[in-house]
Amino acid sequence: MRQELIQEHQGGMWLWLLQRVTAVVLVVGLAVHLIVLHAFNLGELTFDNVAARVASWFFAAVDLSLLGAGLFHALNGTRMVLLDYGFSGEVARCWGRSSGWWVWRPSDTAPGPSGRG
Amino acid sequence: MPEARFRVKRYDPEAPVMIGARYDEFTVPYESSLTVLEGLFYIQEHLDGSLAFRYCCRAAVCGSCAMYINGTYRLACQTNVRHLHGDAITVEPMPHIPLVKDLVSDMTDFFAKYEAIKPYLMRNSKTPDAEIPQSEADRKKLDMPIDCIMCGCCYSSCPSVWGEGSYLGPAALLKAYRFEVDSRDEAGKTRLPSFDNERGIYRCHTITNCVEACPKELNPTEAIQWLKGATVRRRLLGRAK
Ligand code: HEM
Ligand code: SF4
Ligand code: SF4
Ligand code: FES
Repeated sequence: MRQELIQEHQGGMWLWLLQRVTAVVLVVGLAVHLIVLHAFNLGELTFDNVAARVASWFFAAVDLSLLGAGLFHALNGTRMVLLDYGFSGEVARCWGRSSGWWVWRPSDTAPGPSGRG
Repeated sequence: MPEARFRVKRYDPEAPVMIGARYDEFTVPYESSLTVLEGLFYIQEHLDGSLAFRYCCRAAVCGSCAMYINGTYRLACQTNVRHLHGDAITVEPMPHIPLVKDLVSDMTDFFAKYEAIKPYLMRNSKTPDAEIPQSEADRKKLDMPIDCIMCGCCYSSCPSVWGEGSYLGPAALLKAYRFEVDSRDEAGKTRLPSFDNERGIYRCHTITNCVEACPKELNPTEAIQWLKGATVRRRLLGRAK
């Protein structure tokens, strides 16, 4: 088989791990988000109430981690779907670089097996 | 004497462009029991000598006779026609694998991927004079993966293989697991790069078609998930397994 094709996709552990971590953040974070904002509206929907919530560190942390996790999860998820549909050429590789550059590790691009067996 | 009606899918590499699939029908008489493989022998000997299929052990251990029989992955030698329903037995080659002729699949890529994961025990420490001891619990971990007969059913059934021709696939990864999980294996990070990539373990989306397809009732999905966890443990936590 085309050994070079196996080598081309070295790495992936970080993307897989983060997909899983962000999935957990999404499940927990979305639950908090929906419960707090929609199920138990914290007081009336007034400027003061919203400003107070936005100013709280807890909600800032929940909202920011939701935003970050959601962005990563959706972009990397879409990248994986594209890969699975056979766009493993330039398009998918560019996408992989742009959404995954900040988790790049030198070992991710280490050469694979040099020959068979 | 009972009779079994066979519908066999044919493929002739030398025929000019084929339009649609060709199925040939054969009637095979038998006495009290007949396996699909025996039926194919009868057809080849008495009805159509040009029919091509693979077999070797006739006892469900070599994995050569994997076919798609009545829409299910089965070993022809292990399948008794009396256990099949419907008025005909439809015998097709495993789907999604290139063909050589009739029911003979081209397993070149399949075995190249098997070789790519270095399917042998690797040791660094000095070979002991006696055997390498292994606890009962450690030996138990091998029970599932060593039953794999490399028939290719799982590989043919895996949507990730259909979508990406160079994905290693469940059989090769199950074999990688068989050695990685072995307490005697000391490959360390030698074998790791062959499957720690997106044409390896991360291409598996736990669809579990492979589990359903396996005629030996093995669980490649579980093995691949273990490899994902073990890779993280090894690379991030510095653990041995
Ligand atoms: C645009 C939206 C989303 C996309 C494109 C997306 C895509 C994906 C993909 C491709 C996977 C990996 C599947 C695999 O390889 O096995 C995944 C896993 C997962 N996603 Fe999402 N997802 C999205 C939104 C969400 C949301 C909103 C949640 C939670 C509420 C969520 C929860 C999960 C969970 C729990 C997993 C399993 C993690 C794992 O098995 O490692 N996803 N997602
Ligand atoms: S569980 Fe993984 S290896 Fe098995 S069929 Fe699904 S994608 Fe393929
Ligand atoms: S895991 Fe099962 S289906 Fe796959 S090659 Fe081994 S025996 Fe065949
Ligand atoms: S002939 Fe060996 S498995 Fe069927």
